Amino acid sequence: MSATEPAAAPQHGPTHPSPVGRWASWRRRTSTLVFLSARNVVRELRRSLLTSSAMAIGLALLVISRTIADGAHEDWIDSGVRLGAGHVAVQAPGYLTSGALADRLGPAQLSEAERALAAPDVAPRIEAAVERLSASGLAASAASSFPVQIDGVIPTRERQFSQLPEQVVDGRYLEDDDRLSAFIGVGLARRLELRPGSRFVLTSQNSESEIAGQLVRVAGTFRTGIPEVDDGLVQIPIETARTWLTAPGSATTIAVLLQSSRDVDGVVRALRARLDSVSGVRVLSWREASPELEAAVKIDDAGDYIFHGILFVIVGLAVLNAVLMSVLNRKREFGVLRALGLRRVETGAVVFGEGVLLTLASGAAGMILGFAITWIFWRNGLDLSGLMGGEMTMSGTLVDPVIVPAFRLSAMTQSLGFILVIGILASLYPAQQAMRIDVAEAMKFER
Amino acid sequence: MAAVWWRIAWRNLWRHGRRTVITALALAFGFLAAVFMVGLTDGIIAEMVETGTAVISGQIQAHDPGYLPDRPVYATIGGDAGVDVSALVTRIESVPGVVAAAPRLYGGGLLSAADQTQGAMLMGVDPERDARVVQLLSSMTEGRAPQAGANEIAIGSDLAHRLDVGPGAELVVVTPASDGSLGNDLFTVSGVFHTGSTGLDLTTAIVPIDALRGLLALEPGRVHEIAIRVSDPWAADSIAATIRARAGDDPPLAVAGWTEYRPELAEYVRLAGASNFIIVGIVFIMAIFGVANTMLMGTYERRREFAVVRALGSSPGGIIRTVLFEAVILGAIALLAGAAMTAPLVAWISRHPIDLSRFVGDFSMAGALVRPVLRVDVDLAGPLTSAVALFLTALGAAVYPALRASRVPPADALAGR
Amino acid sequence: MRLRSGAVIVLPVLLPLWLAAGLAGQETAREIIDRVDRMLQGESSEALLAMEIRTEHWTRTLEMRVWSLGTERALVRVISPQKDAGMATLKVGNEVWNYLPRVDRTLKIPPSLMMGSWMGSHFTNDDLVKESRMIDDYDIEIGYEGDRDGAAVWEFDLTPKPEAAVVWGKIVERIRKSDLMPVWAKYYDEDGVLVRTLTFGDYRRMGGRLVPTRMRVQPEDKPDEVTQLTYRELKFDVGLDPEFFSLRNLRAR
Repeated sequence: MSATEPAAAPQHGPTHPSPVGRWASWRRRTSTLVFLSARNVVRELRRSLLTSSAMAIGLALLVISRTIADGAHEDWIDSGVRLGAGHVAVQAPGYLTSGALADRLGPAQLSEAERALAAPDVAPRIEAAVERLSASGLAASAASSFPVQIDGVIPTRERQFSQLPEQVVDGRYLEDDDRLSAFIGVGLARRLELRPGSRFVLTSQNSESEIAGQLVRVAGTFRTGIPEVDDGLVQIPIETARTWLTAPGSATTIAVLLQSSRDVDGVVRALRARLDSVSGVRVLSWREASPELEAAVKIDDAGDYIFHGILFVIVGLAVLNAVLMSVLNRKREFGVLRALGLRRVETGAVVFGEGVLLTLASGAAGMILGFAITWIFWRNGLDLSGLMGGEMTMSGTLVDPVIVPAFRLSAMTQSLGFILVIGILASLYPAQQAMRIDVAEAMKFER
Repeated sequence: MAAVWWRIAWRNLWRHGRRTVITALALAFGFLAAVFMVGLTDGIIAEMVETGTAVISGQIQAHDPGYLPDRPVYATIGGDAGVDVSALVTRIESVPGVVAAAPRLYGGGLLSAADQTQGAMLMGVDPERDARVVQLLSSMTEGRAPQAGANEIAIGSDLAHRLDVGPGAELVVVTPASDGSLGNDLFTVSGVFHTGSTGLDLTTAIVPIDALRGLLALEPGRVHEIAIRVSDPWAADSIAATIRARAGDDPPLAVAGWTEYRPELAEYVRLAGASNFIIVGIVFIMAIFGVANTMLMGTYERRREFAVVRALGSSPGGIIRTVLFEAVILGAIALLAGAAMTAPLVAWISRHPIDLSRFVGDFSMAGALVRPVLRVDVDLAGPLTSAVALFLTALGAAVYPALRASRVPPADALAGR
Repeated sequence: MRLRSGAVIVLPVLLPLWLAAGLAGQETAREIIDRVDRMLQGESSEALLAMEIRTEHWTRTLEMRVWSLGTERALVRVISPQKDAGMATLKVGNEVWNYLPRVDRTLKIPPSLMMGSWMGSHFTNDDLVKESRMIDDYDIEIGYEGDRDGAAVWEFDLTPKPEAAVVWGKIVERIRKSDLMPVWAKYYDEDGVLVRTLTFGDYRRMGGRLVPTRMRVQPEDKPDEVTQLTYRELKFDVGLDPEFFSLRNLRAR
């Protein structure tokens, strides 16, 4: 009941102060406004479609870029952790810095860890878990010798965990009943003049700091494309390593691969809850084990946010323009409405409502479009190998040229929220313009 | 005649001033965005190339042709006779584009402290020259770089951990010498560095080149490598070729730019180039939609006006021309506005790159070595491409509306149908 | 580090083989070697050696004094040249330490340097260590018995036991029947390719026994390179006990 309204406009406000009456009246007015907004949107369908298409495409692009970036990051993280100690690693405290056999998990710690990993709130989130006993030493053949990193592994579990077993160049990967077999890189094979079947000797310091040698035969050779790994990594069966290094039932790392890299913090928490009380056990996330990888992902994310910001502004401007134009072109119409009793604020509300409805519609359309296109990429993978030429390494891991987009609920809601905010902000100015329409002036216009 | 049409186009634009301004703003912002995003990507790439090469390897490396890949200690530049190192370095530094060059010597050996022994790659450097070529020596996390003439050694952080030593500690350095004896001497740890790369932090130890020569029993004048810094990393390959040509056969040199010994960096650069293309594309597709939207509505609203013009004798082509001219002027305005917005922003951010270390958490990197910063590198190509894209967008967005506008029969439009 | 083809350095190991050869016929080679081995546990020796090394890049001659006890313990001290004088190596079982007089420090050799050449020669640190396990690691058979180069000889074939941690595919040793002197030892990889040859010569009486005073090791892939050991003095039963082979003695000058 504004005193600034011209007297010509009949008041439809309540004539008695009863709250019920006021509420009913308010509801009636509001529903009228909503009706008006909706009808306006539908009436000028072409204009509405044009306006909303800008927003829809913008949203679709945001969705696509987000899912692809997330997919690429998942890839980086995945490759990185598969080659290393997984998304989550269980080790003896101090192993990360010392790398020494003395800092290992004994049978007691191993069984505690296994029990924690089998717990019902953890087990379903795990894709694969492997035990490894690692040491650094020397590989020597009749021809030459070279320093190496030796990983004692469980072959069938490694197959689930890393891609190494599939990167066989010659011979075959280790099998569970192998004893004196080794899986070596092509670089090492070249240096030591070895082929599948050749014998060579591994020498290292065992758990009692004595130098111990172990005969092994080459079961197969691999190529990762990463020189340090092809020259320096040897995998042998874990039991052989345990006997050789006098470390029965022990492991230096339990590496855990999760179904999704985003689950890391949750799983780490759950494991720590169970294992913090066990001495000699430490639970690590890949972020602690590979800070360079995390930094690369975060920097990329930052670039992405900037991209978002840019789209934000462009889309916002487009929408602003469109809605504003539609308002300015309907001055007469609004003038008539005002003459019929619509208040200033309500006029603004109608325009605002149009903007919001358009935004909501485009939001829906954009999400659908974005998902559809992402789904196509998800099924077939976005193949960037044409752009990348040969193999590519980053942070010590091989980058897969085929990117599978990753859906992340938080990212999707973020993008949707973005668009809603854009739509709302872009509707404010036109709404304000609508409020300023002077009834008498408006009648001069044709429309 | 043509001039009139431009004036008319100009006036048309300003009759709907607000709309024009906002549309131009959208385009201008697209321009800003494209230049910025491309600059950002280029900046990240440049940062990557620089840290990849400026940490320790340099942008160009020169060796004796027989040195790589096995790095035998005898394969010094110029063979057993060696070279006049100063003269060679000066000659290399005189090549245009070269900022500095430094000689290096390598040897594999053992470092021993108290009861811990670790294998390491010993790198002998001229501390003063090397500091002009790479950053490692100026970025010690503890202590300082070794001084020429002293038995000092700088080691990686992981190596320091394993040996359990810090600056001031004493290390025994043992390495097989070139004459068959076992070179050995005591060194004092002058500093510890942390690059974040395990390969370097665990296996590398830096000593003054003369000290390593003594250990290896090599004559003065024998070096394994000349590491070279250039002002423009992107020109490394061509500068390497020049150096090789100038050296001729005296001594014979194998000179390689970083694209050869850091191929993964080169790959990433190519990938980034491709993604730049995509980004500019996306930005302007967005802009096209916004602008086309507006123009379509605008021409629709103006159909009576166009009808009158047609009725007065103009051809459909004339309508198209009007709309397109408006688009061109709009583009020009947008470009000016865009340039006006972009230039100061780029200038400012070049001087103050965005530091992400807060967001990247506790990830500490040694000094200025690998900075989690977003840096924007803008050269001429980016803005030029974006400007072209901007005009194309403006024109492209106007094409459909122009065609539609020209096709409306004047009579219908005037009758309001 | 490239492996320098190594050779057997400490004499005592060869003793069981050719001593055993003399008793072959009644007992199997293995039984004899076991018996002799047990006998030799207490066998001590002291020697003065010259080692000449020729490689592609340099030539060097070292003089050193070597003490040994059985097959498990040895102490080597370099006497000349001046630059290396005082450098010493101690081996006890599988472990090896070096003493560096110039810096007055002792270094335990880690596995990664075990294959490194000892003092630049074609011996490796590993050869010093593997010594004592030769008998445990190989099956010994007589491969040939008869005349070669005008002398009656045995050729023993040493084949590594299935799980022995040795790099060789086979070692063949030729021993003279008349005086049980070794003539040569050839080291083959598993494909039967000869990798290095150890030859013996200059048989003389020293310390009351006939011994080959010259041993030469030749890598096949570098025919111009060679390491030659010459015994200048050799004494047995010098009354050493295990405590002599200590880190303290390693450092003594």
